[in-house]
Amino acid sequence: MNAAPAISAAPSGRSQANETAPVRIAVKNLDFYYGSFHGLKGINLDFRDRQVTALIGPSGCGKSTLLRTFNRIYSLYPEQRAEGEILLDGRNVLDPKVDLNELRARVGMVFQKPTPFPMSIYDNVAFGLRLYEKLPKAELDVRVEESLRKAALWDEVKDKLKQSGMGLSGGQQQRLCIARTVAQRPEVILFDEPTSALDPISTGRIEELIEQLRNEFTIAIVTHNMQQAARISQFTAFMYLGELVEFGPTNRIFMNPKKRQTQDYITGRFG
Amino acid sequence: MTALTEQIALARARSVVRKAPGKGFDGLFRASAYGAALLVLLMLGGILASIAYGGWPAFREFGFGFVTSSAWNIGTEQYGALVAIIGTLASAVIALLIGVPLSLGIAVYLTQLCPGWARRPVSMTIELLASVPSIIYGMWGLFIFAPLFARFVQVPTSNLVEGLPVVGTLLYARVPSGVGILTAGIILAIMIVPFVASITRDMLDQIPTMLRESAYGIGCTTWEVVRHVLVPQAAVSIIGAVMLGLGRALGETMAVTFVIGNANRLSASIFDPGSTIASRIANEFNEADGMQLNALMALGCILFVITFIVLIIARLLVRRVKVA
Repeated sequence: MNAAPAISAAPSGRSQANETAPVRIAVKNLDFYYGSFHGLKGINLDFRDRQVTALIGPSGCGKSTLLRTFNRIYSLYPEQRAEGEILLDGRNVLDPKVDLNELRARVGMVFQKPTPFPMSIYDNVAFGLRLYEKLPKAELDVRVEESLRKAALWDEVKDKLKQSGMGLSGGQQQRLCIARTVAQRPEVILFDEPTSALDPISTGRIEELIEQLRNEFTIAIVTHNMQQAARISQFTAFMYLGELVEFGPTNRIFMNPKKRQTQDYITGRFG
Repeated sequence: MTALTEQIALARARSVVRKAPGKGFDGLFRASAYGAALLVLLMLGGILASIAYGGWPAFREFGFGFVTSSAWNIGTEQYGALVAIIGTLASAVIALLIGVPLSLGIAVYLTQLCPGWARRPVSMTIELLASVPSIIYGMWGLFIFAPLFARFVQVPTSNLVEGLPVVGTLLYARVPSGVGILTAGIILAIMIVPFVASITRDMLDQIPTMLRESAYGIGCTTWEVVRHVLVPQAAVSIIGAVMLGLGRALGETMAVTFVIGNANRLSASIFDPGSTIASRIANEFNEADGMQLNALMALGCILFVITFIVLIIARLLVRRVKVA
């Protein structure tokens, strides 16, 4: 288990921010509207390769909204729209010509609550693979095992792969969802408050897992838990009322915030 | 300070005005609720028993042959239920084959694809369809639908398939009158759609948004989301809805009596007239006595058994889906 560091103390046991890592996602002048409500205002932000970037801020500040623009999941709802640019490896994902299904395979997402599909554990992981790749059974087995191992779930489920994914505990279900996402070998994984429905032990395991996944994937995580942001991220963006207030290496944001609002928030004066 | 708390404590004690509740009323209440529940059981049992009693002479006279014989001859007093049983099952199955895909389509459209402004009007229309009395469906089916069906479907299809194997029998109308098993099935399909569609819609609506989003989130198309995630998630309820529709289709009387043709003839063609158990009873009960009445009662028993079997199958299916 991770020992939870005090917020003001230097976060320990976490690798330092690599400020020279290549930029994977570049958000440029992004505005977002829910109907007539202006949800995000002129956001500019870079997400670096194989770094964990945490989005923090009080409820309703737009951190989930921002995350949901990267795989354009918001476009399920016709009244929501985004303006500006989000460059994923230099290509604008907001371009109407972008193939949404392909984009979503490249940018995986894990939600607030575990969402196993109504099928077996094996099929939960294989489902996304089968959508894009025609793999022979043996290779599929290998990929499923590899993904479950990466999600630190293999040892717990290897004897019951044929059982329903709904029968697992909440924490296991969330790791199953992570395995399902990892299986597609995305470039970026978005976590939208992935531990908000989990107990502290399951939360700890998911946090360790994110730390490991960082070796392979670029990660963006929304969290309303500041200790969590401090524990697992290299970069932190503080948002408030739809605007990006401050962004920088997590160490600096937590130890030496430049803006008054950031300081007030991380010291618990509002939120 | 102490005095004050004591005063409050005393005041509290005095303010308890509720006496120990009398046993009498509560007992009466329990007994009447119990009685209400028991009454339903008694009524069901009573109906079943009296129909079985009424049908008993027919079962005794014809034995198991009552179920396997296709005779229905009032003059010679020879009765068999086969034609009516097959007609009942065939029209109900046709109704499901047409109605269930249609209902699923409606439910998926309403919950997944429909723009917000169109949702209410379409939903309302579907629900209004459920409130149309069955006699209206029957009348419309006989006077408007059947002639059109004969002219634009039965005649051209019969000409097309004549002489071909299998379809040449299945889809050949000897007398293209528009009425028959298929017409009854189509009318029944229209009648069950509102039930199946609105239950399925409600069930799909209850699926958490997040599950739907995470299916889209791994790159599924709308079809894949619906086929692999949403429908399996709601499978238990959808089976329930389908079985409700089947129950209605099996027992529907008025509309079917209008459009099925009321012939006691076994035919392999779904264009040919036939009978269902319900339509046979509705047609004949008025003038029936003696063995004919007994035979109709026996038919009623069989319908009871068929719906009962449907119920059991539904239960088993639901259990299997739940386990999986």
